[in-house]
Amino acid sequence: MIIETDVLVIGAGPAGSLTAKHAALNGADVIIIDKKSEIGTPKRCAEGVSKEGLKKLKIEPSTRWVTKELSGVRLIAPNGTSVWLNDEKVKLPEAGYILERKVFDKHMAMDAARAGAQIMIKTIANGLRRDGDSLIVTAESMGEELEIKAKIVIGADGPESRVGRWVGLKTAQKPKNMESCAQFEMVNVKMEDPDAIEFHFGSTAPGGYAWIFPKGDDIANVGLGILTTETDKSAYEHLLDFVKNNPATQNAQPVEFNIGGDPVGGMHKELTADNFMLVGDSASQVNPLTGGGIISAMEAGVYAGKVAAKAIKEGDYSAKNLSEYQERCEENIGVKFERDLKVKDYLQSLSDEELNSIADAFQDIELDRINPAELIKQLIKVSPKALLKLGKLF
Amino acid sequence: MMIMKVKEWCMYCGECAGVCPRSLIEVRENSLKFDKDNCKECAVCIQVCPVQALAKEEVE
Ligand SMILES: Cc1cc2nc3c(=O)[nH]c(=O)nc-3n(C[C@H](O)[C@H](O)[C@H](O)COP(=O)(O)OP(=O)(O)OC[C@H]3O[C@@H](n4cnc5c(N)ncnc54)[C@H](O)[C@@H]3O)c2cc1C
Ligand code: SF4
Ligand code: SF4
Repeated sequence: MIIETDVLVIGAGPAGSLTAKHAALNGADVIIIDKKSEIGTPKRCAEGVSKEGLKKLKIEPSTRWVTKELSGVRLIAPNGTSVWLNDEKVKLPEAGYILERKVFDKHMAMDAARAGAQIMIKTIANGLRRDGDSLIVTAESMGEELEIKAKIVIGADGPESRVGRWVGLKTAQKPKNMESCAQFEMVNVKMEDPDAIEFHFGSTAPGGYAWIFPKGDDIANVGLGILTTETDKSAYEHLLDFVKNNPATQNAQPVEFNIGGDPVGGMHKELTADNFMLVGDSASQVNPLTGGGIISAMEAGVYAGKVAAKAIKEGDYSAKNLSEYQERCEENIGVKFERDLKVKDYLQSLSDEELNSIADAFQDIELDRINPAELIKQLIKVSPKALLKLGKLF
Repeated sequence: MMIMKVKEWCMYCGECAGVCPRSLIEVRENSLKFDKDNCKECAVCIQVCPVQALAKEEVE
């Protein structure tokens, strides 16, 4: 069977759904496929997003998929010293939410469908070839072989990022740029402040950090990301240690186990080819410092969808005509990531002792806003090493 | 001959596929497919797996 369309989006995560939605809203015929039988499930995420990010994307928060509104941040040094950033200490006009990704991802796909996109689930793309000024993707759905011919194909296939390689883009991640993550969703979690998200630094999670993200009541995502180049233990083994040693999880019980890769090496250099664009994790559009990629995936999706629809109208699907997408991503996403990458490298160079003394120095600091940039500015004030490595950037 | 063994606790998260420099791993919803003829045994797929679900095994 051969199906024809203007735009084919491969992957119905946040990146793909927003791409499909905006391509359809702007007049293109769109098909979006996902190999999953249930969009959003299993989740591979700690589910934190900033309110500001959703607002910028004009996505109204819904009680169907927001589980928790946050009002604070707690940063924890290896020896347990905490730096609290909450309403009492600083104004937090733009904190965040914890989502229910399984529901959120479905709703983003529903919005794409309402805009006119056709969704095919349980459909896996397994190859691609060029055919004149089109691409033909081979796919499989419930035992049936399909061919989908599209003027523009969009790779939104997440951290696996194989689709981009089919058109010659270099998307394979090096292990040093791929966080290996493991998480339990737990009940009976006793957090000191169940309205604050916790970030735990140091050797508990070599090359990354551990987190506790509250989901309301006594429920929380308890997880960590590590770089496998920095430890011999697996993410799962580190997670078991974290849960065993953390005061908040002494009586906690898991109701879900999640794992996954999070690309933190900064955005890929090349995001387009003739008839092709790459969005979201597959383009490595994840904040290298926090590992957060939901908002940037969706932001890129908006750009990609609009550029795709415009190219369809113009009848020009060349890499040159699609390069507007690349430019918008570089300007709005890539530049920030370059700076955050340097901060990540600096943080990873710190020993547990150094982290402990920074947390001590932070006890007396007054902040009036919190965001990573503001924290780094303060860090530069208390740490000579930070001044040396990051002084010029902030 | 060396083959890649996928343990039964694999969760099909796809992290291994993301790092395979030769793009040899196809992750389906409930199975993994290897193009073993082209595998260079670099083992980075084994290294990144969050749950150590991959192992090289010698078979006859
Ligand atoms: C443990 C963990 C915790 C995280 N925590 C956070 C967090 O708190 N906040 C945050 O912002 N980000 C977080 N992230 C990152 C975030 O999950 C991703 O950045 C986000 O999901 C990217 O969206 P995406 O649409 O690009 O990819 P995905 O959400 O991965 O979607 C890709 C989709 O493509 C489909 N697919 C893949 N290959 C094919 C194929 N060949 N054919 C058909 N379909 C295919 C997949 O089934 C999947 O549905 C975390 C990541 C991990 C691993
Ligand atoms: S990284 Fe491990 S758990 Fe994930 S798909 Fe590969 S083998 Fe399975
Ligand atoms: S050993 Fe290397 S080449 Fe072989 S499948 Fe794993 S990552 Fe790919």
